[in-house]
Amino acid sequence: MLKDTLSRIIEWAVQKFGAEYVEARAQKLHKTMLTVKEEKVEAAKEGIENGVALRVLINGAWGFASVGSFDAGGLEEAVSHACKMAKAAGLKLKNPIKLAEGKAIEDRVRVKPKKNPSEISVENKIKTMLTISKNVLEYDESVKSCTIDYLDLVGVNYFMNSEGTYIEQDKLYVWSRVLATAKKGDVYTFSREEVGSTAGYEVFDVETPEVVGERVAKRAVDQLKAKPPKGGSFPVVLGPNVVGVFVHEAFGHLAEADLTLSGSVLMDKLGKKVASEVVTIYDDGTIEGAFGSFKYDDEGVPAQKTLLVKDGVVVGLMHNKETAKKFDTQSTGNARAEDFRVEPIIRMRNTFMAPRDYSFEELIEDIKFGYYFKSFRGGQANLDGTFQVGIQEGYEIVKGEIGEPVRNASISGNTLETLHKVDAVGKDFELWPGRCGKGQTAFVCDGGPHIRVLEVIVGGSA
Amino acid sequence: MAALKEEEVVSLAEFAVKSALKRGADEAEAFAYEGLTTTVAIERGQITKSSRIIDRGLGIRTVVNKAVGFAYTNILMDKTAIEETVLKALKAAKASKPDKDWQGFPTRKSFAQVKNTFDEAICELSPEDLVKTASLMLEACEKTDKRVFPVEGGAGASYLARAIANSNGVAGFDRGTVVECSLATVAKESGEVTPICFEFNAERLYRIDPEWVGAEAARQAGSALKAKRVETKSMKVVLAHFALQQLLYYTLMDAVKADYVQRNQSALQGKIGEKVASEIVTIHDDGLLEGGLRTWKFDSEGVPQQKTTVIERGMLRSYLYDNYAAKKEGKESTGNAFRAGYLSTPRIEATNFHIVPGKKSPEELIGEIEEGLIVYSVQGAHSSNPASGEFSVVATPAWKIKKGKIAHAVKGAMLAGNIFDALKNITALANNKRKIGQLVAPWVLVENIKVIGK
Repeated sequence: MLKDTLSRIIEWAVQKFGAEYVEARAQKLHKTMLTVKEEKVEAAKEGIENGVALRVLINGAWGFASVGSFDAGGLEEAVSHACKMAKAAGLKLKNPIKLAEGKAIEDRVRVKPKKNPSEISVENKIKTMLTISKNVLEYDESVKSCTIDYLDLVGVNYFMNSEGTYIEQDKLYVWSRVLATAKKGDVYTFSREEVGSTAGYEVFDVETPEVVGERVAKRAVDQLKAKPPKGGSFPVVLGPNVVGVFVHEAFGHLAEADLTLSGSVLMDKLGKKVASEVVTIYDDGTIEGAFGSFKYDDEGVPAQKTLLVKDGVVVGLMHNKETAKKFDTQSTGNARAEDFRVEPIIRMRNTFMAPRDYSFEELIEDIKFGYYFKSFRGGQANLDGTFQVGIQEGYEIVKGEIGEPVRNASISGNTLETLHKVDAVGKDFELWPGRCGKGQTAFVCDGGPHIRVLEVIVGGSA
Repeated sequence: MAALKEEEVVSLAEFAVKSALKRGADEAEAFAYEGLTTTVAIERGQITKSSRIIDRGLGIRTVVNKAVGFAYTNILMDKTAIEETVLKALKAAKASKPDKDWQGFPTRKSFAQVKNTFDEAICELSPEDLVKTASLMLEACEKTDKRVFPVEGGAGASYLARAIANSNGVAGFDRGTVVECSLATVAKESGEVTPICFEFNAERLYRIDPEWVGAEAARQAGSALKAKRVETKSMKVVLAHFALQQLLYYTLMDAVKADYVQRNQSALQGKIGEKVASEIVTIHDDGLLEGGLRTWKFDSEGVPQQKTTVIERGMLRSYLYDNYAAKKEGKESTGNAFRAGYLSTPRIEATNFHIVPGKKSPEELIGEIEEGLIVYSVQGAHSSNPASGEFSVVATPAWKIKKGKIAHAVKGAMLAGNIFDALKNITALANNKRKIGQLVAPWVLVENIKVIGK
């Protein structure tokens, strides 16, 4: 029994090496992946990822070891590695790490998908992806390429720690990314969409091949007629997809307590106003079926809905057990590890701005000249609050109306200055799936309503 | 845990290939990977953790009726697990669709000779040794500038081994080492926080300089204080190593991949023999570069790595090929098939993308600039348009150059333009080449880049 083995090695680390805290995370996962390029399947791929991660805290320093095996001998060796690592790491320690205590939890979490990806044939999945590709390529003759990646991941995570917690948690993710390029003369355009769910394969009943295919292809084709934006400061209206990435990249990372402690501009701002009063931001791990949702994080803490900004004031940060102790609070369940090869770190879940009361027409009607940025292509932030968000779909706003499309724009500014310039928040709401990189990849959602920002820097070459 | 022996790994790969052929594959290939990594990590000014990661596995490609199936497992030492993986790869191939352009796996060729890619001393590094390396780096940082805070970083040592076997008789093994240390810093003074500054040193042999990394990371952060905004205008920009790597990775390095060209996704399509860069620009993709971070005897499908001239004095000479893309054009692979471990099928990537340096010292390069920017890193390069080469990024950290000298740090400046125009506007290359990921390059001076300030 895996449970007994884990229990025995945890006990051993405590007894023999004097570990203050020990956790074992085992995973048994199965992945199916596809890559489709135009009408071709490059390869159908299947993989098994079985392994165990062991993390120990000794004299205030962490040791970590990972192995791709479940046998008792291998695990004993790994846990003793982890303990030796911790002792070495502690050689020059000035401020020992302490952890917020957790409650002992015993649970078995099962997922109940309407369509379990492991019960759907590879042939069927290939058919869905090829149908998306067909819809993209047949949209217009200017569409030149379509690349689709598909992944589903099904299995069980086993978590045990020295505080008496034992959790068996089903894991299920379905994800796809569709990229298209179009070309006319010397103009090349590029368009991207992602689909992601923790509910099941039924996500493709809503995000059908027709819907997704047309959304990607139409954007690539429409951008062919677009012009480069003017560079400079302008008022903008951001769509839910761009608001999501802005909230995630520009604000969210600064509110991950490890980065806050590292000196992010939020460090001295808890309880203070950092945004206009129409701004409220959540990070929520409990939205059913959303790509960033789960019941327990990778330190065995229940996920929750965490309020980060309330009416412009920072009221919370995202914590793991280590940062929670430093801030004298409880973990918010944001500790996540990509797999058994890496240790859990603070990650976002589903991060969004809460809607208010404006209609889209009201948001744009007073703008003489500005931009409407509807969909993003990448974003990045720095600890000092400098952010950049690339735009894959944007339009001019001229005299209160949507005008001509612009391509390859990006927006930049300082996060806190920009949050103060949000003067109106829409009443609509959308959540978009995505993947976030912080050394490891995490599946997340970002979103919000349409919003108006009085001024941001638009990077354009015209 | 000791590393697996050469014979052991190669025979596992050969076993997988034989097993696949026996069970009905027309062709088969197995790629085995082993990575043993020890790291220590710095968090917020001190060393707080250490880890030992053992990652081993085998990826199997099988072909049935020109349809490709792939499966992998991280359970290596158990032949039943390998046979199950073979069956999965076969099942995947049968579920997949035939690809009329499939022309088989590579055939057998003698592997290249490589130098300075393995160092026993790196395999023997203990976590205590790495703690010492990280401490030297931290101390150098603290000594250099008291206003600087080391946010994160660390030191690591890896042993990496790969074996390949396929049904055309290709069989090989190669092993290598990498040792590295890195430090990210910010400086704080009277309420101002700088953007993150980052420095690192990675080598295949045990010759790294943690004290230089610590001091340089501190110097950058300290001099990033008192940043000012700049006017919006076009000017000369010196792209330092990281900034150049970030901008090229998402644009030029994709545009020279043969599959991007064949699939109409490259602005360099049909431009072989044409001028695509300033004539002072020569770029080799050098898979055999001595001590290069991507130097191996063979690529990840068993083709010998080689040196390929991509751009010669501004003229486009060659694209980069794997076996599939090469066969499609009746050419030979340039040895650019890449995989990240055993988890994936190969894709085309540059090996060591070497921009031949110039003769000017960095000081001379800056000394000739009346007004311009020097950019160490950019934010948002991944949001560039990979097909057209258009970029729009934030320069951070960056400094203003006035009258041949660095005048002050710059905040919030964006750079916008097209990488293929920028390549034509390179007017000088420094002599300070170094290795950053796949890129091996010096600082470059690009004229006429649009800088968006206030």
